[in-house]
Amino acid sequence: MEKTIKINLGGILFQIEEEAYRMLRDYLQSIDHKYRNVPGGNETIEDIESRIAEIFQSQKDLSGVISKENVEMMISIIGTPDEFDQYEGTESGYQTSHREKRMYRNPDDRIIGGVCGGIGAYLNNDPVWFRLLFIVFALVFGIGFLVYLALWIALPTAISNSQKREMYGNNFYHTGDKISGHGHEYAYSTKVGSAFNEVFRAIGKVLFIIVRIILIIIGVTFVLAGFTTLFTFIIIFVFKYPGSFSIDTAGYNLAYLPDFLNYIVTPAMVPLMTALIVLVVAIPLLAMIYGGIRLIFWFRASDGYIWLIGLIVWVLSVAALSIISFNEGIGYAERGKTTSLEYFRTTPDTLYIMSGRRISDLKADKEIAVPDKDYKIFIDDEKSLVYIRTYLDISPADNYSTSVEVKKRSSGNSRLDAISNAERLQYNFTITGDTLLLDEFFMIPPDTKWSFDEVGIKVFAPEGTIIRMDKTIERMYHSYYDYDFVNDPENRFWRMTEDGLDYIKPRHINR
Amino acid sequence: MDLENTKAQMRKGILEYCILSVLSRNSCYASDIIKELKEARVIVVEGTLYPLLTRQKNAGLLSYRWEESQQGPPRKYYELTPEGKEYLADLDKSWDELVESVNLIRTGKKSKTS
Repeated sequence: MEKTIKINLGGILFQIEEEAYRMLRDYLQSIDHKYRNVPGGNETIEDIESRIAEIFQSQKDLSGVISKENVEMMISIIGTPDEFDQYEGTESGYQTSHREKRMYRNPDDRIIGGVCGGIGAYLNNDPVWFRLLFIVFALVFGIGFLVYLALWIALPTAISNSQKREMYGNNFYHTGDKISGHGHEYAYSTKVGSAFNEVFRAIGKVLFIIVRIILIIIGVTFVLAGFTTLFTFIIIFVFKYPGSFSIDTAGYNLAYLPDFLNYIVTPAMVPLMTALIVLVVAIPLLAMIYGGIRLIFWFRASDGYIWLIGLIVWVLSVAALSIISFNEGIGYAERGKTTSLEYFRTTPDTLYIMSGRRISDLKADKEIAVPDKDYKIFIDDEKSLVYIRTYLDISPADNYSTSVEVKKRSSGNSRLDAISNAERLQYNFTITGDTLLLDEFFMIPPDTKWSFDEVGIKVFAPEGTIIRMDKTIERMYHSYYDYDFVNDPENRFWRMTEDGLDYIKPRHINR
Repeated sequence: MDLENTKAQMRKGILEYCILSVLSRNSCYASDIIKELKEARVIVVEGTLYPLLTRQKNAGLLSYRWEESQQGPPRKYYELTPEGKEYLADLDKSWDELVESVNLIRTGKKSKTS
């Protein structure tokens, strides 16, 4: 006995044979497609459904099951949507047969994107063969997969009724006794094909779910990463929260970087540059968050313009920032230096090098590490002063006198400019008898820009001079690296040798 | 020129007029209207009627009431609204004029009178 299906039509329950059901379903779909988007269309569809129910009610045979013949009879009474058109207001009804065929993705016969369904409709063939073809070619270096993706992107979906007409061409809605709807005769003719199609449908569903899950995971990652980064930026740079995540790898507080901008660019440019930097950072993050949300919820939105505007604003910001940075950077193009040398009046046997003003005594508000080994900048916002550590070197003198050399380096847009920039750097040291007092830092005078300034101190002492330093000076000399060495209280005495400074090893430790 | 097409166009123009005319006599169920129209060979299939009825109802020319049926779902009985009657009167008038004009042209009497 043939399988029957229960359906509800116009509020009445019917039993219907499977084949008849398919025919009815296609018929109802074709009516639905035609009137769904017409004003008052739903009412028309309901009216027709009630009428179908009435016809079935009056025609069903003794067994109470609706057969294929009943459906055919019903269709011949009510007519196909094509036949309605003979008197309908739209002109399209007369053009159907002349319309050119076009390839679409078929939303009514799809497994993944409806590409094969569309090809099938276009070539009037069972999509199952195209599905097989794509799978076979997918195994050959994934060609099938790529072609499928390309077609998916390139082909539009046949959404409206007229697009479907173009997709099916003349096979759309056969009239007369050959009604099988949608030009789907093949679906009933090849049992193997429909079995394959069912298998593909199942595989397609699974694939689709997997793809969706992956997209959702990517989306969630995007949203989380975007939010975290944005949040971090705001916390660090807006609220200057000195938490662990505002410390860079070298261990310095990143929160003060924006303030440092005040000291390196023309002051008038600061607000503009800050705004540009905010745009350059925020736009990709917002795009990431929005894109992530779209991936998660998979909604359609006509947001092409927003993306385009965002992209344009971002590119312009990057360009503007680059131009400003380049212009500002020209101010640092040339290096220049000044050197001064001061001799001790007497050459001491034991030279005491002591620290004058120390960084630890400064009440600096901010400490910034430039991505360089030990170049640290301390900023006093109140006095608008910048302090930077000096380098210290102690070398053998090539004559018999002790001297101090101060080398100031800076940058400018020309060599002369660079030299005058170097001259403005303030560094203090004093020589009193056999004692040299060195400041640990130099200063950039207020209202001048920082321009990669460096001050290096070189002390020349004749061979054989014993040198004593305090801790701060020793740290300067060792460039802050050899902490163990510096912390050893015994290592305070040094002797100048031919090769440079050598510290006098305490004998009791050495043995 | 496609003869069928031309015929269809002609029928299309008068179909709405015919529906209103049928309803002007008494309120009807869709099938009754169809029966009359089929007998008059204005339409072939029932499906044609439903969208037109919906459209005329939405235009305020028709109204309907539900009536229970022994054969199936409840039926819609359509009738003309006062507006519909006025509209039909207009159409009647222009139909008469049209027939007159067409006859004049077909018989060629117009040239003699002028």
